[in-house]
Formats: sequence, structure tokens, C-alpha cells
Amino acid sequence: MAGRDRVAVGAVVSGLVVAAFATMGLGSSVAASVDDEVVTLTVGVIQDLDTPNVTAGFLVSSYEVWNLQYATLTDKAAADFATEPSLAESWVEGDGGLSYTYTLREGLEWSDGEPLTADDVAFTINTSRDQAWANHSSITANLDATVIDDRTVKITSSVPDPKLPIMDVYIVPEHVWGPVAEGDVTTYEALDGVGSGAFTLREWKSGQSWTMDANPSYFKGEPAIDVIVFRVFTNADAMVAALQQGEIDFAHSVPSSSFEGLGDEAGIESVFGQQGGFSELAMNGMAGGIGDGHPALVDIDVRHAIHRAIDKQALFDRVILGLGSPGVTLSVSPDPVWQPEIPVEEQFTYDPAAANQLLDEAGYVDTDGNGIREMPDGSQELVFRYAERSESDIAAPVRELITGFLEAVGIGTTVDVYDDGQLTEVVGSGEYDLFVWGWTPFVDPDPMLSYFTCDQVTFDAEVIGYNDANWCSEEYDALYAAQNQELDRERRIEIVHEMLRLFYAESTYIVLFEDADLQAYRTDRFTGWTRQPAETGPVLFSNTSPTYFLLQPIDGGGGDDGGLGTGALIAIIVGVLVLVGGGAVVVMRSRSNRDERD
Amino acid sequence: MRPRFVVGKVLGALSTLAFVVVVNFFLFRVVNDDPVESMFRGRNLSIEQKDRLRQQFNLDGTRFEQFAAYVRELLSGNLGVSLQSRRPVTTEIGEAIWPTIALVGTATTLSMIIGISIGIRAGWRRRSRFDVGSTTFSMFTYSVPDFWLAMLVLGLFSVQLGVFPTGGLQDAGTTATGISLLLDQLHHMALPCLVLAIAYLGEYAIVMRSSMLDTVREDYLQLARAKGLRDVDVRRRHAVPNAVLPVVSLSALNFGFVLSGAIAVESIFSWPGLGQATLQAIRGPDFPMLQGLFLLFSAAVIVANLAVDLLYGVLDPRVGGR
Repeated sequence: MAGRDRVAVGAVVSGLVVAAFATMGLGSSVAASVDDEVVTLTVGVIQDLDTPNVTAGFLVSSYEVWNLQYATLTDKAAADFATEPSLAESWVEGDGGLSYTYTLREGLEWSDGEPLTADDVAFTINTSRDQAWANHSSITANLDATVIDDRTVKITSSVPDPKLPIMDVYIVPEHVWGPVAEGDVTTYEALDGVGSGAFTLREWKSGQSWTMDANPSYFKGEPAIDVIVFRVFTNADAMVAALQQGEIDFAHSVPSSSFEGLGDEAGIESVFGQQGGFSELAMNGMAGGIGDGHPALVDIDVRHAIHRAIDKQALFDRVILGLGSPGVTLSVSPDPVWQPEIPVEEQFTYDPAAANQLLDEAGYVDTDGNGIREMPDGSQELVFRYAERSESDIAAPVRELITGFLEAVGIGTTVDVYDDGQLTEVVGSGEYDLFVWGWTPFVDPDPMLSYFTCDQVTFDAEVIGYNDANWCSEEYDALYAAQNQELDRERRIEIVHEMLRLFYAESTYIVLFEDADLQAYRTDRFTGWTRQPAETGPVLFSNTSPTYFLLQPIDGGGGDDGGLGTGALIAIIVGVLVLVGGGAVVVMRSRSNRDERD
Repeated sequence: MRPRFVVGKVLGALSTLAFVVVVNFFLFRVVNDDPVESMFRGRNLSIEQKDRLRQQFNLDGTRFEQFAAYVRELLSGNLGVSLQSRRPVTTEIGEAIWPTIALVGTATTLSMIIGISIGIRAGWRRRSRFDVGSTTFSMFTYSVPDFWLAMLVLGLFSVQLGVFPTGGLQDAGTTATGISLLLDQLHHMALPCLVLAIAYLGEYAIVMRSSMLDTVREDYLQLARAKGLRDVDVRRRHAVPNAVLPVVSLSALNFGFVLSGAIAVESIFSWPGLGQATLQAIRGPDFPMLQGLFLLFSAAVIVANLAVDLLYGVLDPRVGGR
């Protein structure tokens, strides 16, 4: 290559490098200078929307959009989920609790200025029921809504429904959704941005971010924040770094490895938000009569022995690093009122000696001295297939601990790893012994309780039900039916407690620990971060996400004066160094050329 | 180049593509046959609603019925609708393809220019300090995992120094346009591009050096020197044009991999390209997206191969003339 060419290539490469590094300062300045007066909250998330369409989406991130965009007839209090007025300012019970007549607030408007009337409410309830909308029909399946006048709507349930008068279905605008044909509803893009909540969707850049604007027509008044930007990270550690750098104001789903110590950093508060999510060790109860579960697991003594053999405190300390709580019985709601107190003396606390004794007395003894017990009739050893989720971050440490605990009481395991789809099929076909998975409950306990009724047991592998404990109890079913139609809340709570004690005693499902939603936010830009429920819940991505409306900007907090920051200064220094270095290389190479020519 | 040669190569490419269509369709279904169960676990859906979803997603027929429907739609240019976003796959891919082309295309171009330059100089002056240093450097960059390098670069420039953003295509929610937006995007692209360029350049440098070493021993270079040509002219006019041929085919093939080449780096830098879209689709599994993406990835490689074959036919008459 001639010297002239080499100088040219050197210049091009140096130019590219310099250009890239030069943007270190420029990019930041540009970003900071845009929309200085607009109050923007930037939320870091690791999950993009699946779709903003409320009839089709199912991810947590999408629920956050709907919580903000679509108000409901009744709301849930931030502190304790108590029912509060929302679009409806009042309601009156009728027909012995089978119907409620709701009166809407006066002057309600959609964000596009159209009036919000009882017609919108009736349209949402009746259409979602008829078309079985994914996020509505579990509530509206038995409901019928009749418009009395513009501000009054009567909702009647065909069966006693203890959830009433709570009406937390997202009310959608009829003038937007009405013209969408039934066959097109689930594929409607739903980027119209018309809503009645505090914020409405302005744009969604798939894989990057979505932006929501304050709704000036919001019935509680215009929010103090003008814009919320949800920024999608595919690298959770980068999201934490962005919070530390002040690029974002809030981080959702902080990895546990980064969580410890994060709250001690200046200007950052960490939140340990519990919403009732838990992980369980499930055993094959063989209620469906299909598959090939180990016969020992049908014996309640074996299940109790396994329960006694597992050190939940060790799992809590070593797997989720103490970020949650050790599990007791099934968690059916983020609202702790639904959880029964199980006295310690009734709990299957960790006691390997007691587990050994239970197994010995039931006739499961190790006759061949290989360390593994056999069935009482000697037909087979107590070696269980342990199914592990490949998609779980905690699968490996949980497996190591649990298989170790079982081995200590003479129970062997073989480990099979499945992705979630495969595991669903394996469980549905009954071809498993043990597996570890988890659930996150809704606020009302009914859905979680329903999963363990007999009609949710899988009897045909082609029609998989929810009951992955593969356990069936007439007593439990009777209690479920009773709570499902019990209109007296206190009595209903008692029934639910009774169900959970029964479920706990049966031990087909051993709740290992309740995990938490780890969050963190900056304290130097906004005040008003509110947990739902108080003291234990998360601040954002909670059940109804009240925080956004309550946030107030701190004067001057986190502002960027647009001047040269540290980044820009370092950029200039590095740029100069690169220029000097590049120049030196070019000079040296030119000299070398001359040498060659000479 | 004979028409028969061209027709043969094109038919070969088309049959490979048809094979890919079949494999892609069945491969993902072997891994997981029922995305509805895995995507909607924990949602409060009745068995009837799940069946309805299967109908909507065209998952209710037999595999062969589904395959026939897929091929029918594919032939009419329809890649289907994403199960997750319910948007057309072509729209999803259309949005993700440009960030990937910008990032991986730029990085590939940069690594080619720098890598080939390094290889030429190292091969020409064998065992010089530059050769030893650059070969060590090239071997290092060739062997280093790009995700590891990406984490290091992110930790240094974004977390420690705070001079580059922690990821994304641009500042989230920015309303900037024109040159401001371009600068913002360059700012965001600098780190992932740097990582990929470093990760790729080793291969170019090593192949180019090796090719140069073979060429350096050729008699015609001695003849060129004997004619009195300067050393730089011998290298530029006689050595490089002959030595660069293997690198040209390598480059053409690598451009075929541009679309699929940066899943790990896109993930670490939250770059909204095809790599990220692939990861997202695997999590579903979102069959239509996976089929569309892998068809695109395969088609890019097949087209690049075809281009190289045809180019060789043009460059070397012995190939195209047979």
C-alpha cells in the first residue's frame, strides 16, 4: 500500500474512532437538552409489552399500561386493597347481593374528549363476556350490565358472586372498540391511546420503550408527571447501572445479586415488594389416574416425611438470599388477610429424624443397605424423578438442596430438565414424581383456590387442567364452592383459611418460599413512592399501581444543566488522546515509508 | 459463465431454502408443541378459552395441516402473526432488521478494513514486532467470547466512567430528530459496535496474514522486485490482489451472517435488533416469529453463498465454464 493510501486509511479509521468517542459528550448533551420543562419519569424494565391490546396481552408489563390507561368502576386502596370509588362514585346493592347499581362520576371524559358514559361500561362488560376477552371474562362471565341512564348502570350476576361490588375490569371506550369486528379484536394494535386513566399510551417502540402521556381529563386531576417512559433492558445488570448513573428513575425486577447494598447507595432506595408469589415442590398425587407417578407419593406419610425432610430456612437463606419469606402454605393473594396462621406445632417443620421415623413406621426401610429405602412390599426403591425447569434461574441451587435433603432420609432422585412447555406436558400426562415451579396469585383468592379443585385435575393428557398437584379432595371442593358464593367477607375468609389448612395438611404441594419483586428507585427526583399493600408491597407494578399519580417532582432534582459534565470532559480528553495517537502513528508510518522508499 | 451453471446454482439455493422451510417448521414443534400452555400458565383462562387461543393461533389442526397452511401463506408472502404481540411477523421483523444491519453491518465493515490492513502488514513483514504483536492480538480477539468483552466494555465505559449509555438504540422517549437523533443513536451504537468490531477483526487479520504468507513466497514477486519495483508497489500491486481472494469470499459469507450474528451483544446492550427479537420469540415460543426469523437468517446466508458462487464464476472462468 502506498504511503498516501495508508495515510488515508489511517485517517478514516482515526476519524471513525474519534467520531464514535466524540458522541460521548454530544449525545448526552443532546438528550439532556430535549424537553427540559417536561417532567419525565423513566422506568427501567426487563420485559417489553407483548401487546397493548387489553383483550389479548398477558405480560406484567402490559398490565401496567392498562392499569394506567383504563380506569375501573371501583379501585383498590394503596394501603390495604380496600374497595374505593373510581369511575363509579357510589353503588347500591340489590336483589340480595346479586346486583349492584353503580353511579358514575359527573363529567367523565375519555382522553380524546369524548364523554365516558354508562354505555361504555355496559359495552365493556357485555362484549367481554360474549367474546370471552382474556383479561375480562374471568370477572364478567356471569355478569350482565344494563344502562339506566348516562351515569347509571346496573350489573347483575347470574350466581352469587362474593367479588361484587368490586368491579376491577378495565373499562374501554366503546367509540374505539365498538367498530372493531369480533374476529379482529385480539389482533387490534390498540395504539389509539384513548383511555380514562391517569396516563395514556403515546407510542410503543417494540424492544425499546413505550411512552405514556398524562391524561388532562383524568377524573382525579392532571398528574404532576407529564410523561412516563418505560425503557426496556435485556440486561438487568445494565438496568441497575442505569439507575446508579441516573439514566432511569426506577428499576423493576432488580437481580438479587445486585439488590444487596443497592439501597445503601446515596440517592437510591431499594424495595422488597411481596405480592404473594411463591415457589413450590409439587408431588404427583395421581388423582387423574393417568401417567406413572411413584406409588409411594400417594401415601400421605411419605408426603409428610418429605415435608419434614426439607429445610425451608436453608432454601430461603441460600437460594433467594433472604429476599422473601420462608413458605408455609399456599399463598392465594398478595393481601395477607387471606393467609391463615398455622401454629408452629402444626407445621411440618424441618426435622429429618422425624421424617426418618415416619418412613420407618410406614414400612419404607432400606433392606439392601444401599442408602435408599424400598417400598413396604419391596417392589421398588424410593427413587423419585425430579423435574427441573430449564428456564428458572434458581433451579440448580434448589435442586441441589432438595435432592440432598431427600437423600439424607433415604430417598433417591433422578433429575430431568425441561423447558416450561415440555414440563407442562409432562405434568399433564402424569409422567413425573416431583417438580419445582411457582405461581403469583391475584388479589381475590378465588382463581388460585380454583386451580386445586377436582375438575381442574387432568384426566386426559390432551385436555390439561390447572391442578398440577394432581390431587383431589371432595372436602376441599365443597369448601371452594362455599367460598365462591359466600357474600359475607368475614365468613368467606374463614372458609378460605380452612381450605388452606387442609391443603397444607395434605402436603402434595410444599411451598418452599415466597419470593419478592425486587425494585429500586432514585430518591433525588421524585417523592411520593407508595407501596401497595403498605409496608410489604412493591411501589410500581403492584396490583393497581397507584404510585404514578402520587409522585411529585423535587424542585431541581436530578436536573441536567446541559453544560459539560464529567462524561463530556473525559470524551474530549480521550478524543484528544486518540487524535494525538493517530497522528503519531501516521507520522511514524510515513517515516517508515520513506525508509522503504530509500 | 454458462447459463446452465447459473441455473444450477440458483436451483440449488432454492432447494436449500425449501429444506430450511420444512426443518424450521417442524424443529420448533418438536421442542414444544403447545405454546398456549406455556405462555398462559398462571393466567386465569378456562380450558375453552385456551382452545379458542389455539384456534386463533392455528395450532388446533394436525402438524401436517398446520404445515400446509404455513406453506400456503408463505407462498403468498404472508409470514403470519406473532403469537405474543399479535402483529404481523413482517412488521416485527421490519422494525428489528434496521438496528441489526446498522450495528452488525458497521462492525463487520470496520473489522474488515482494520483486520485486512493488519493481516497485510503482518504477513508482509513476518516475525517483525508488528507481526508478533498483531498476531497475538488477533488470536486474542478471535478467541475471546463477545459477551464477555461486551460486559467488560459496558462495565468500564458505562458504569465506571459513565461516558456511554447503558444500552438501547437511542435515549428512551427522546423527541429528537434529524442530526440530533443521529448523534444520539451513534452515541448508543458506539460500544456494541466497538465490541463486535474487535470480536470480528481477528478472523480477518489471521486469514489475510496467512494468505499473504503464501503469496510472499511466489516467484512472480521476486520477478517484480527484480524489475526494480519498490517494496510497497510489489505489495500493493502484486501481492495483495492475489492474497485478498480468500478474504473476499470470507467477507461475502460473513455478510450473510450479519442478520443473525449478534444475539449476545444485542442482548447485553439492549439493542432492539433481530437478535433480541429471536430471544424474545424463543421464550414464547412464538412459532410464527421463529419461523420468520430463521427463514430470514437462512435466506441471507444462502443468498450470500449464491453470490459468492456466481462471483467465482465471473472471476474464474474455469469455475463458471465447466
